[in-house]
Amino acid sequence: MNIEIESLAVLLKGTVPHSLTDQPAVLIIYVLLVVIIGAALASVILRNVVFAIASFAVTMAAVAFVYLMLAPFLLFAVQLLLFTTISAGLLLGLLRTTTGLTPAPTSPFGSELIGGAAVGAALFALIGVVVGATNWPVKVSGGPMEGLAGTLAGTYLVGLAVLVVLVASAALGAGLLATQRLGRRPPAAASAAAPRRSPRPGRSGTNR
Amino acid sequence: MTAGLNLVLVASAALFAIGAVALLVKRSVIVMLIGSQLMLTAGGLAFVAFSRFGLGWVNTNRGPAVAFVAGTVGVAELAIGAAMAVIIYREHQTFLADEYESVAG
Repeated sequence: MNIEIESLAVLLKGTVPHSLTDQPAVLIIYVLLVVIIGAALASVILRNVVFAIASFAVTMAAVAFVYLMLAPFLLFAVQLLLFTTISAGLLLGLLRTTTGLTPAPTSPFGSELIGGAAVGAALFALIGVVVGATNWPVKVSGGPMEGLAGTLAGTYLVGLAVLVVLVASAALGAGLLATQRLGRRPPAAASAAAPRRSPRPGRSGTNR
Repeated sequence: MTAGLNLVLVASAALFAIGAVALLVKRSVIVMLIGSQLMLTAGGLAFVAFSRFGLGWVNTNRGPAVAFVAGTVGVAELAIGAAMAVIIYREHQTFLADEYESVAG
């Protein structure tokens, strides 16, 4: 079916695409999306911060594999090798530099989490309604396909340079955090400099 | 069984909601940083889905390009957040955001 859609920005011409129907690919997409949601939930709920960071890394890696199926290979490689590694390295370095790796003593299911889950569910429902009610423009197949690297190096050259600086800075910070142990103040000096106080009466300061 | 735009968008919305919950509910700075990363990743996933299933071939590479930018900004934001958390931890000996009230003063 040939269509012609005129948008505000560009004129789209071509054929209406079909969703993925190749059964192995569809099954892999479903599995990856389930893994993404499950690992993301685990990263929020788990009390052990190390396990939470590991779940977060699994989420990022699963997103990378979704990119592998839907987007250019470069994005998959960057997501898996740079974003996932640097993010997990930063968080683990942050832990290693500060508290160590102790789990929180409290239950992961509290009243605040239930309230937050309600807010999250409302947000999810709102986005779902918007997605369902919007008539998205369709993809048009055909035409020249430029590689992502070519697009980044051509159209977005300045932005790419800025991003390279940002990634390099983040990688440098991750490396410093992971390798350098900052000096800690003695507990007495630290408590004298910044007296601890409970911001909410009747609530303990547990690591949730 | 097919996989299309709506499927990936629903997953992206769920990921965004989970990140928002982590950012709003959790008091640990580390989990809050993870939540912000999840939200940015959800945005990138939606852009990739639109470029693959939604927009025309003119924009085929622009969705991944935006996902690339979002991921990079997320990593940089995480680096800055982690550095701030280390500095604040040296003063307060905790990662609980509620304990950081005196930081501004």
